[in-house]
Amino acid sequence: MDQMLDVLCSHDKHHKDGDGHSVAAVDHGSIASRPAKNQLHEAGSNGAPSSTLGKEMTAVNVGVDELLANAGYKVRASELQQVAQRLEHLETVLGAAQEAALSHLSTEAVHYNPSDLASWIECMLEELAPNFPVDSLPHLHSFDQSAQVSGCLMDDPQACGRQNQQSHQEDDAHSNIVDYSEEFILDYEETQYGSGFNDHNLNGIFGNICSLEQLGRKREAGMKQGFELNAQGMHQREQKRGKHSITQPCAYSGSSQEAYSQTSDNPVVFSSVYGSNQASLRPMGSCIHQPTLLQDGSDGAQESGVRLVHLLLACAESVQRDDLIAAEELVRDIRVLAAPQKGPMRRVATEFVEALARRIYSFNSQDTIGNQRDSLSELLHFHFYETCPYLKFAHFTANQAILEAFENQKQVHVIDFNLMHGLQWPALIQALALRPEGPPFLRITGIGPPQPGGNDVLQEIGVKLAQLAKSVNVEFDFRGVIAAKLDDVKPWMLQVSQGEAVAVNSIMQLHRLLYSENSATPPPIVEVLQSVKSLNPRIVTIVEHEAIHNSPIFLERFTEALHYYSTMFDSLEACNLPAQSLELMLAETYLGREICNIVACEGAERVERHEPLAQWQMRMCNSGFQPLHLGSNAFKQARMLLTLFSGEGYAVEETGGCLTLGWQSRPLLAASAWRC
Amino acid sequence: MDSSNDEMQLQKAKSVVPLNTWILISNLKLAYNITRRPDGTFNRHLAEFLDRKVGANISPVDGVSTMDVNIDRIAGVWVRIFVPVSSQSDETREEKIPVFLYFHGGSFVHSSANSAIYDAVCRSFAKLCSAVVVSVNFRRSPEHRYPVAYEDGFTVLKWIQLQALTGLGNAWLPSNADLSHCYLIGDSSGANIVHHVGVTAATADLSPVCIRGHILMMPMFGGMKRTPAEIRLDGQYFVTLKDRDYYWQSFLPDGADRDHPACNIFGPYSEDLSNVPLPPSLVMIADLDLLQDWQMEYVQGMRDSGKKIELVVLEHATVGFFIFPNTEHFHRVIDAISSFIRTPI
Repeated sequence: MDQMLDVLCSHDKHHKDGDGHSVAAVDHGSIASRPAKNQLHEAGSNGAPSSTLGKEMTAVNVGVDELLANAGYKVRASELQQVAQRLEHLETVLGAAQEAALSHLSTEAVHYNPSDLASWIECMLEELAPNFPVDSLPHLHSFDQSAQVSGCLMDDPQACGRQNQQSHQEDDAHSNIVDYSEEFILDYEETQYGSGFNDHNLNGIFGNICSLEQLGRKREAGMKQGFELNAQGMHQREQKRGKHSITQPCAYSGSSQEAYSQTSDNPVVFSSVYGSNQASLRPMGSCIHQPTLLQDGSDGAQESGVRLVHLLLACAESVQRDDLIAAEELVRDIRVLAAPQKGPMRRVATEFVEALARRIYSFNSQDTIGNQRDSLSELLHFHFYETCPYLKFAHFTANQAILEAFENQKQVHVIDFNLMHGLQWPALIQALALRPEGPPFLRITGIGPPQPGGNDVLQEIGVKLAQLAKSVNVEFDFRGVIAAKLDDVKPWMLQVSQGEAVAVNSIMQLHRLLYSENSATPPPIVEVLQSVKSLNPRIVTIVEHEAIHNSPIFLERFTEALHYYSTMFDSLEACNLPAQSLELMLAETYLGREICNIVACEGAERVERHEPLAQWQMRMCNSGFQPLHLGSNAFKQARMLLTLFSGEGYAVEETGGCLTLGWQSRPLLAASAWRC
Repeated sequence: MDSSNDEMQLQKAKSVVPLNTWILISNLKLAYNITRRPDGTFNRHLAEFLDRKVGANISPVDGVSTMDVNIDRIAGVWVRIFVPVSSQSDETREEKIPVFLYFHGGSFVHSSANSAIYDAVCRSFAKLCSAVVVSVNFRRSPEHRYPVAYEDGFTVLKWIQLQALTGLGNAWLPSNADLSHCYLIGDSSGANIVHHVGVTAATADLSPVCIRGHILMMPMFGGMKRTPAEIRLDGQYFVTLKDRDYYWQSFLPDGADRDHPACNIFGPYSEDLSNVPLPPSLVMIADLDLLQDWQMEYVQGMRDSGKKIELVVLEHATVGFFIFPNTEHFHRVIDAISSFIRTPI
């Protein structure tokens, strides 16, 4: 065992790059760690600034004050003086205005990307401007404006302005839903949801969103005077809330069966389009970060848990070296050791050892693991959605951003890169129905893979969504596009009309487009992003795993995945599912498929090529997209919804305008928004 | 205050600290101000949104590698462990190095162990003091009032003990971590936590963990009376009495005032510490901190109780003197700590 670990160790030295020199990287520890055992310096060379990504980020961040960067703020060294001046000015304005201004900034204003200090200060000043004297000092520009580099992790000054406008739209119910400190949330749950709330009832989820929206609007109306909050403000808030406590049923209620049983005379324009393609591919570079390993310190079975990790890594290392005999032996050992384990450790170990076994024995099947898009995988997806907050977070956050992007638009068109059960859209339809300016004409184009047996699942979902839209009086139109791969979908198939506002929504789809056969041909992602651009979307919402599971070096990929999914499995514990329940098993199977694909597959079969936010940001920027920051209201909503749907331990964080959902201190999913 | 007075205040602070430090602390102050609503409630969502966080990184960055470990998953208590590695190879150093248990500041309410500023501070300490730093993510008020933060701190100590006793320590702590040389260290409210955890630890059986000293940087203490420094320095250098009062009010139990012994250590409800075997303390005070009179009372009270206190007063230093390595104060801090941990008892 020690020998093996020594081998691991020396292997690591070969890969490791050593210390990064201290540079003003935006974050020197983007993703976190693993057991700091001496012998366990795994291959996984650099999260340090000396990595490829680090170098690129450094180039982009040239000229920032290094110390402030370490503290999480991007401020150009040459602008320190001006930033200080503006900050002083802001303080003075706040000092003069006292409570009302503070209250406004705290309660009404929507904040964006606090890391870009210059722009944050300006936004705050603009928030206060209508009611307070306008200053004559020169305004700061957002971080990127003076840069010549094609920086991508920077704010777009126009975006800031636009976001600012948004926050001035007091009539927009969606941006400022509710503002309760944590102590209020418990209250809120009791009064609003009571016994009617059922986590396993689709309507329950969407019903609650409906309630939040309605409540937000009513509260909004009450808060129009904004600046009148005083010591009695709290009492007033409670009164208002009590008055409008949600007992109003949402537009549809009862089981999903009932709701969808009505016939619709809402014209549903539906067409299926089949695409064909020739994949063009090129290997992507990889960038190694180190994930967090949150081991449960209080678990009694810790010791064998640690051994399991060691064995798994040793096995992967053997596979890496092509020593399949040693690997096989280790697989046997691991299975034996894993069997009596309890808790997430056992399940993680089981998934990984089975994936390793598959790789070793090279099971070749037509059903490439984790790549199936059949009814079983849809079922698993549905259950995963029900049991854990990850997909809910993805949907809520994307919907919030789409809602904001669709403000004042009369014709809107959402293109969903993977419709599945259409779980994301009822909430958006409801929210659009409740807009103060009235609902727009909504079109949804759902893309999905061909189904075995030729069932047109897309149509079925489309019909249900149409029923819902009709019941809330939203003019609606659905189109399904059947395509085995996203690059098969050409822009003309989406039939975007002149004058409609387009939102492109991609929940964990883009990473499937990263494989290319050789360096001559670019991976499908390039073409897909160009196609997206050609649609001139108002917003592109992207949610991806916050992980590095695309290293060409097997051992690195394995190690990253082990840590990522350990954290994931650990987080399932907080979903309060009874041990060995069906729901838990299904959720684990869902994740197990991803693990299998990452570990056992290669080439075109390996579709789970997760890459971290920083890399997606770079890719989007290089493709000509600008970031649209997700603000404090989306952040707050996400946190509140987490409280409703899951237990302690989940963490939403804001990072450079994007939101991540994670378990404790490890982000696992990242949501970002973009425009052209 | 009229605005010209305001500007003078701001100028004063600006003349004492480097510009980037001024920007950092002013920004933090501003952020804190807008999260404390005028009606007294706290906007936790906005506070977390504004807090800049950073992940752990096992790969050494500037000589330090970090990782996060759960202590109590349900409660949300975890630690970030900072390990200095040798610049020669990436192996941890051979010789035994002490362990710092770090409690971050934030007036019991703000920041976390993964806040960027505290990640940077702990990295500095790990590297420059050659210590393994265990930064505690304890629970905060107003959601969790006294004594939760103290209890969480002690829980972590017990956890470290358990790791050592069951031989599992090496999974999370490097093999050269010397648990028999453990120090409790903190800034502001974190330093307050250091004292209280230290008092509990002094009479508990923690072997093989042995706490050799307490290190308190700008400790947060207080009381009902207004001290001369509080009156003189109110609002002068980033900190106001109003905000201090607010944070005590949100930490202390309902109905308690600032003479509660958590806050006023040697006040009317003080505990007699003469028979509590507390180890020596290093106390660092900034002479532009409005809490300095309370801090001096603490030092005096500890000496009167027979405890060994090394006092360092930093002249022309404001709060936050330990954050950025761009002043002589910072280096003085490192020197003081380094020699304190090398002083035999």
